[in-house]
Amino acid sequence: MLKQTHDQWPTVKPQAFIVGPDDPMLVTGATGFMGPAVVASLLRHGFTNVRAFARPSSSIDRLAAVAEGQGASARVEVVRGNLLSAEDCRRAVQDAAVIFHLATGGDKSFPDAFMNSVVTTRNLLEASRHQASLRRFVNVSSFAVYVNSEGRCLDERCAVAATGGDAYTFAKAKQDELVGEYGRRFGIPYVIVRPGSVFGPGKEAITGRVGIDTFGVFLHLGGSNPIPLTYIDNCADAIVLAGVAPGVEGEVFNVVDDELPTSRQFLRLYKRNVRRFTSIYVPRPLSYVLCRLWEKYSDWSQGQLPPAFNRRRWNAEWKKTRYSNEKLKSRLGWTPKISMEEGLRRYFAACREKSRA
Amino acid sequence: MLKVAIVGCGKIADAHASQIVRVRGCEIVAVCDREPLMAKQLYERFPVKHWFEDLAELLDKARPDVVHITTPAETHYAIARHCLEQGSHVYVEKPVTLYAAEAEALIRLAEARGLKLTAGHDDQFSHVTRRMRALIQSGYLGGPPVHMESSFCYDLGDPAYARALLADKNHWVRRLPGKLLHNIISHGVARIAEYLTGDSPTVLAHGFVSPLLKSMGETDIIDELRVIISEEQRTTAYFTFSSQMRPTLHEFRIYGPRNGLVLDQDQETLIRVRGDRYKSFAEKFIPPMGLARQHLGNLKTNVGLFLRRDFHMKAGMKCLIESFYRSIEGGGPPPIPYREILATARIMDSIFDQLAPQRPSDDRERPLQQHPANAGVTGR
Repeated sequence: MLKQTHDQWPTVKPQAFIVGPDDPMLVTGATGFMGPAVVASLLRHGFTNVRAFARPSSSIDRLAAVAEGQGASARVEVVRGNLLSAEDCRRAVQDAAVIFHLATGGDKSFPDAFMNSVVTTRNLLEASRHQASLRRFVNVSSFAVYVNSEGRCLDERCAVAATGGDAYTFAKAKQDELVGEYGRRFGIPYVIVRPGSVFGPGKEAITGRVGIDTFGVFLHLGGSNPIPLTYIDNCADAIVLAGVAPGVEGEVFNVVDDELPTSRQFLRLYKRNVRRFTSIYVPRPLSYVLCRLWEKYSDWSQGQLPPAFNRRRWNAEWKKTRYSNEKLKSRLGWTPKISMEEGLRRYFAACREKSRA
Repeated sequence: MLKVAIVGCGKIADAHASQIVRVRGCEIVAVCDREPLMAKQLYERFPVKHWFEDLAELLDKARPDVVHITTPAETHYAIARHCLEQGSHVYVEKPVTLYAAEAEALIRLAEARGLKLTAGHDDQFSHVTRRMRALIQSGYLGGPPVHMESSFCYDLGDPAYARALLADKNHWVRRLPGKLLHNIISHGVARIAEYLTGDSPTVLAHGFVSPLLKSMGETDIIDELRVIISEEQRTTAYFTFSSQMRPTLHEFRIYGPRNGLVLDQDQETLIRVRGDRYKSFAEKFIPPMGLARQHLGNLKTNVGLFLRRDFHMKAGMKCLIESFYRSIEGGGPPPIPYREILATARIMDSIFDQLAPQRPSDDRERPLQQHPANAGVTGR
């Protein structure tokens, strides 16, 4: 599939980039959902010296397929290690010109999420700050860090907070803070990229922004909200451009595609293209009240039920919001190469294949 | 106001902090982790006065009455000893130490200093376990237990965890004498230990690597264990640990000369098993009705606890913490008798000795001298 993408997508000439085609590029989290796509994008953009950092236990099959698809000139070196080890971090960042930090902790507990997002990032930053070769540190964050309690349009200027959300939100917000702090204290040139809801083959679950099936039936919560989708290859391009485009140090970029479907449209297409199932629509005012009640009950009962549903989550996922990718387009020259229609077609095909398996 | 500190700020420390803040008459004065970021995140999320990255500094400056030790198991002994030497009572997460000799030394030290120690066997204080204990104490079994069966299963089905453990030859679990088992089985073993009278029963263990792990290339991590425990040819017990059987039971059965009890920890149900039998077909109709009534009774109890806001997932831990603090303040006995802690540790020692017979016999003594005073304060 990646090879096909390459055929459709001519290599971009890296003329105006801050690094040369042979400079070492480090990608952490290289075997995760996004990692192989970022490696593929780097290779497509003409970078031939890519170092992929992976845990000892991770499968590198998808990475290998990416490297094979890009021909003999591409060099993808896999470095095994653990970002919790300072020594492994030093090994990983050696001579790197750009670090694309994708690795993150998706754990549900606060300490685990924090350790696998913040402590690992600190280790990587500590190792990086002694690297004279480093031109940029790209920290891949998330829309989850936005509070989104005011206004109807979410862009890079919106408020960010660590408190009031789940473990992932806390960890990602703290990670962003840490990157900013290292930028200020040690002059590490950084860029923060915040993708919306990344979709594509390899991640077949329906995003929680559309709805949840926690209670045994699918509750459709998104309604007429646009879903801030970004197709995996488009998002990977944005991450790569954030690492190599000149003059964007210290900037934050949100990543969403054009032609965003509403939650209702997405769900209809999913049912038509993948599988039929029953869903119950929960109007926004009702979902807000339920989230508020859940939050109050959680407080009152001293956490007998954890605050899994609360106002912060409602604002982040189910409040009607418009999303802007203006900054991404104007400052990085990014455009989504894969249209929403094509992205959804590929995604639904992968979902069908997975459900058959 | 009892001054409490937590050493080790990983996942289980969160559970401790969440329950400590629900206990009246105490405050968390400090948290500590060798990794300052971890100490700071716990400090920021809970009402905690100070954070430290050095245990000695915490003990010196915060002067806690009680220290909860929630670090990896191999550090428990050294940290607990240090805390006791500095005059703090200790609540040590399970497994209390790596070796029974270490547990013994800690208990001796605590007693010599007039301090108290408890182990993190919090399942022993869940609502359902307390109901079972009360029934047994009321004489329901009709005498000392004849036989017990404790099943403690663990789902290795999460491929991410299994792969991480299997691929990483330096994974911390591999460094424990009993490896995977060492980190998990103490809850299930402690259930049996509670109803033994001594602390050194006869133990016969058989363990093996499951076909699933073998198919993944694992030869070292034992994830299937069957144990026979026997005391003075009077009380016997079976302990089962399995990563493969379904359902993943956390169940305890205890039978006396008259009646028996079956406890399901996951569902928090307690079923009374009558020793008497009805005549003829009545035995086939009346007991099922009784069982249905008992299950309904359990449902009613659980719903009642939930409605009274007293059915938290870690309710047992809160009860254990409260009981421990009460014993400190009131001077009563600790909530878990030291005999029970030692019996649990000795049964585990014996199991791991039999599973790894090549281990030198003096190995259990050696760590007593080897641990540095402030070893590994990173939480788990």
